Amino acid sequence: MDWQVVEGSFRDPSGFVYTRDGILYRQINRSFREPFEAVLASGLYEELARDGLLVTHEKVGLDLSATEEAHAVIRPERVDFISYPYEWCFGQLQDAATLTLDIQQRAIAKGFTLRDSSAYNIQFHGGRPVLIDTLSLEPWEEGRAWAAYKQFCEQFLLPLTLMSQRDVRCGTLLRNYLDGIPLDLGSRLLPRRSWGSPRSLIHLHLHAWAQGRYADTAVTSAAKGRSMSRKALLTLVESLKAAVRGLSWRAAGTEWADYTEDNNYTVAAAQAKRDMVVDHIRKAGASTVWDLGANTGEYSRAAHEVAPLVISFDLDPAAVERNYRRVRRDDESGILPLIQDLTNPSPSQGWAGRERLSLAERGPADAVLALALIHHLAIGHNLPLERVAAYLSRLGRVLVIEFVPKTDGQVHRLLLSRPDIFPSYTKEGFERAFARHFRIDAIDPVVDSERWLYRMTAIPQSEG
Amino acid sequence: MYIDPTTGSLVLQLVAAGVLSAMAMVSRVRDSVKSFFKMLVPRRGGRWTGKS
Repeated sequence: MDWQVVEGSFRDPSGFVYTRDGILYRQINRSFREPFEAVLASGLYEELARDGLLVTHEKVGLDLSATEEAHAVIRPERVDFISYPYEWCFGQLQDAATLTLDIQQRAIAKGFTLRDSSAYNIQFHGGRPVLIDTLSLEPWEEGRAWAAYKQFCEQFLLPLTLMSQRDVRCGTLLRNYLDGIPLDLGSRLLPRRSWGSPRSLIHLHLHAWAQGRYADTAVTSAAKGRSMSRKALLTLVESLKAAVRGLSWRAAGTEWADYTEDNNYTVAAAQAKRDMVVDHIRKAGASTVWDLGANTGEYSRAAHEVAPLVISFDLDPAAVERNYRRVRRDDESGILPLIQDLTNPSPSQGWAGRERLSLAERGPADAVLALALIHHLAIGHNLPLERVAAYLSRLGRVLVIEFVPKTDGQVHRLLLSRPDIFPSYTKEGFERAFARHFRIDAIDPVVDSERWLYRMTAIPQSEG
Repeated sequence: MYIDPTTGSLVLQLVAAGVLSAMAMVSRVRDSVKSFFKMLVPRRGGRWTGKS
């Protein structure tokens, strides 16, 4: 077998995604021939791709198919970096939800429907959300309700409402509930005032109640012959859209979201550090940079001056939200802000632990930026420097890292609330620990500070 | 991909679509009535724009 199935696409009997000689393909099985050809003939694929709602694809020959069940093979445009809903900020989840509903509206207008509304079918590509599952569309049969309604509520509307009305950290529930937050759980977690909103009442609370009420009832007897008109379906989608649009979250006030305005760099030091970062990323010849602890993305933008793609990670939802809003406002196509807690990074999970990839499995990046981060890991979270070095060496080939000494105001602040049990946290200790996993290529002092900037190259594990 | 829509979700959709359509109709009627009265009653404190 010279092809490899892409984990996460094996559940769908109508087709799957695979790579062959490093190129990504999607096979459409014979069982899905009619719906696929119908959507193709309608011009819907073309319209969605033209307007940037669906990833573009090119039809290729059957000689590139993976199995004998193939009806057709397409080569979709490759998404730069696969991210998951539990790594998105509020605005990203909201934009992904809106995109899903936009597509459903356009599909209904042409007599089609989305047969699923998984948040995992949406990816951020070129700074905006896009549907990647070409097989999600099928002809709509007159009178049929939307099969993906519950999935939409559990994967989009409920998490967004919880994030907006209860706590933005409720978004992390999506990491545990990969199929979406159960409606009954969400209904209990939502504040009482959510019962006063007609849309939350219908789509979430009554929806949760109906799940229990009709749990053991057959569809035919429960529906009593009623069917759904196209107009009713559009009204439902429009209501979901209004519910999504009506939610908001103010990204401010957290420690890290305000960090860029509240750090102890002088203007000269900040500019000098920015120039050094650009220089190191250029010397690394990096195309893809992972900026760890990126905050609102100031240095991600510096790195993006020389690297086409920067993934801008931070654990603070407010910082990521601000970063994302700037990406959308300025139409920045090469920066992808994502939520990531490095002390507990995204694991590989789903069926057999293989459906959703861990952070490390989605690398290595050409270069990793770790600015003003090491003290939080080593002192704030008691992580030994050697273990930090070992993990970072798996994430990128080149590491640009800032060492922040104990004499620095930020470290001093961390040590105010805990005893100093970190005798090896010194410049020498740092270099010793990192030298076991990296070759140190450059060391430069950061102007007007006691900090140091390093450029290192990871030593392949067999040599390390 | 095939997903189980569940009976509760399908029933709720049928009911919800009806309720939402009714709500939308009420809202449209309310807006029409509002704009009708706005047309009849001149705005207080409205400035003379010089146009007749």
